[in-house]
Amino acid sequence: MATDRRASWLKGVLDLLVLATLTEGENYGYEIAKMLAGSGLGQIRGGTLYPVLNRLEEAGLVSAEFRVTERGPGRRYYRLTEQGRQTLAEQGRLWLAFDESVRTVLASGGLK
Amino acid sequence: MITYLDELKALLREGGVPAEQVEATVSDLAAYVAETGADPEEEFGPVGDFAGQLLTARAPEADPADATEWRWTADIFADRQTLARFGDQGWEIDRIDHLGRFVSHRDPERPQRWEYRRELVPPGGGRALAARLAPEGWEPCGTWMYYRYFKRPRAASVGPAAQLDSPPAAPRSSVFFSRRFYLLMAVALLALVAPGLVLAPSDGDGAGFFAGMAVGACVAIAALASMWFWMARRRP
Repeated sequence: MATDRRASWLKGVLDLLVLATLTEGENYGYEIAKMLAGSGLGQIRGGTLYPVLNRLEEAGLVSAEFRVTERGPGRRYYRLTEQGRQTLAEQGRLWLAFDESVRTVLASGGLK
Repeated sequence: MITYLDELKALLREGGVPAEQVEATVSDLAAYVAETGADPEEEFGPVGDFAGQLLTARAPEADPADATEWRWTADIFADRQTLARFGDQGWEIDRIDHLGRFVSHRDPERPQRWEYRRELVPPGGGRALAARLAPEGWEPCGTWMYYRYFKRPRAASVGPAAQLDSPPAAPRSSVFFSRRFYLLMAVALLALVAPGLVLAPSDGDGAGFFAGMAVGACVAIAALASMWFWMARRRP
């Protein structure tokens, strides 16, 4: 149940989190998943991450470039677009306001 | 005149909600409407949609993976080719079950293509292998004997082009054995039976036949084992 709920929360905000991981520069799928896992969000599987990256790319919020690596078959690198940066700023603010409201209500219920 | 709440009550009853629960829900909503002064349709939306939401919320949540789960198997000669084929049709392998079948599912809303690879697991080196492949986006999705299978969304290399607009229905068959596999089985059967026929005396005494079969079984097992390890080395 707890896992289901976390998955449900993550579903609503994963696109913003992915955009946030790209603010410092381009990155590729595995590293994005690792950064999110390192933040305590748990393992984000490829089957969850790549549909989000696809949607962001189709919406023009990220751009992607496939590059062949020396050792491996290549990686697709994602970069935040200007539109993505604006969306992250706007939607991120809305999420933080939502988070603040949730905290207020939970605090009124005795949770700290 | 049938009010919004009457209609809602009827729809919930038709949906199988117990009468007591329907009364409690509708009374609660009636009190809410009375207190806020809101128009029910504006507040809750069209009555059919709202009833649907209430009924969905009541039903145990279905696991979308279950709805589209498909189990299938292939022999060691055909597995990679078959995985590539069904990965291209959007089937994602979740695991390999105790019968050696691939347990797969396909996202009903946004199916996407998958690619697979098979690796020999070095003794005690399973983790190192997974760690080596992870940066390229490969995730372990099952182990059979000393083979480990890995999956990766095609989107990792081709992006949105990996999405499938209209994937074909799941195949009716769930067994995909190659000609080589059947040939191997025929050879094994021959190796098992032939020595029995050779050693069986003409007077019909069964002892010689069964002794021959025992020899044949040993030969067949040794031949299969040799072929197996030879293949394992040749086909990583």
